[in-house]
Amino acid sequence: MGKIVAVHSYKGGTGKTLMSVNLAATFAKHGKKVCLFDLDFRAPSLFAILKVENTEFWLNDYLNGKCGVNKVLVDLSSRLGGKGNFYAALANPATEAIRDMSAKDRKWEMRALGKLLSLRNTLLGEQKFDYLVFDTSPGLQYSSINAIVTADFVVVATTGDRSDVNGTRRMLRELYNLFEKKTGLVINKVLDSTSKAKKDEMNSRIKDVYQVPLLGMVPCFCEVLRAEGNLIFTQDKPTHPFTKILDEMAKKIEANEVN
Amino acid sequence: MTREEILSKKPLHVLEKIRENLERLNEKMEVMIELQKHGHKDITQPLPDTPLDVMTLLSMPDHLRKTAMTICRCGRATADEVAQQTTRARAVESAYLNQLVIMGYLKKERKGRKAYFYADRDSQG
Repeated sequence: MGKIVAVHSYKGGTGKTLMSVNLAATFAKHGKKVCLFDLDFRAPSLFAILKVENTEFWLNDYLNGKCGVNKVLVDLSSRLGGKGNFYAALANPATEAIRDMSAKDRKWEMRALGKLLSLRNTLLGEQKFDYLVFDTSPGLQYSSINAIVTADFVVVATTGDRSDVNGTRRMLRELYNLFEKKTGLVINKVLDSTSKAKKDEMNSRIKDVYQVPLLGMVPCFCEVLRAEGNLIFTQDKPTHPFTKILDEMAKKIEANEVN
Repeated sequence: MTREEILSKKPLHVLEKIRENLERLNEKMEVMIELQKHGHKDITQPLPDTPLDVMTLLSMPDHLRKTAMTICRCGRATADEVAQQTTRARAVESAYLNQLVIMGYLKKERKGRKAYFYADRDSQG
């Protein structure tokens, strides 16, 4: 049976979408059958990054009970050109759709949780997907907590920013722990991580502060910023250090090595 | 059931009926014991048909969250099936499940001798 991986963070701008897209693409590059979900209904972005101009059905429609999940999946395997399969389920970026999703009640959110949980049977079970990667919205809100409850593993993206560190610590204690979720921390936008001694020092400090396993450290790469979200970085720059870091992270998740 | 009715049935059927009734009685006693143990503190608002959403799950006491989460994942399960997942005793899960039914978060349906618990996601409202 495959796995559901949610990428979440306390604050916005920590690199969740960058991680989600590239992690999903890396899984696909490893020959896996993957689907990337845009669960950030308040600020949908995957349609732009993946350059999908139009689709008949959005993920919103699936959660609203208007269609089955297969109608939502967009096959992007040909873009990667590898042996894996890469699909995406996109959130509707129209203002009307964003407004509609923000006004849902508790009963709807409960049904949405049921719909997400049923992906385990349909996509992982019947259609043999290896990974479903959920890109979530930051902080504690319904759509992201629904995603976390559904996931087998949560990648928590954070930066060195003080408010982010405190919030992330609290969230680890008061959210993921309560739901007994396996988590792996990714420290993004790390400055000065060139020497091994510096890396080791940071590694032990992070373990002390967060008390959870470290999945990876991603330095601040100007090339990633310069790409301005115009490409799937790990796909287009296969020899770049960023690609290598993502590769290691994906391998750790595949081998269940994050303990 | 009158004496004539009982005598007209097969003994096995009568025994089945007795067993079913004893099981129901047992479940009710488990709930009463559980309620006493927790001093009714978990049941603040016994509302009918309360949505079991993630914020509700977050605010639940740990012992009930574990049971409720298992039902969320399985969709529909007996106390036995929940106990297998949580590795707690069946009687304990049965008590927690019935408590969640009283609180309005879960529905209970009997099929023969088995009682199934589920979160009612399909009702309107």
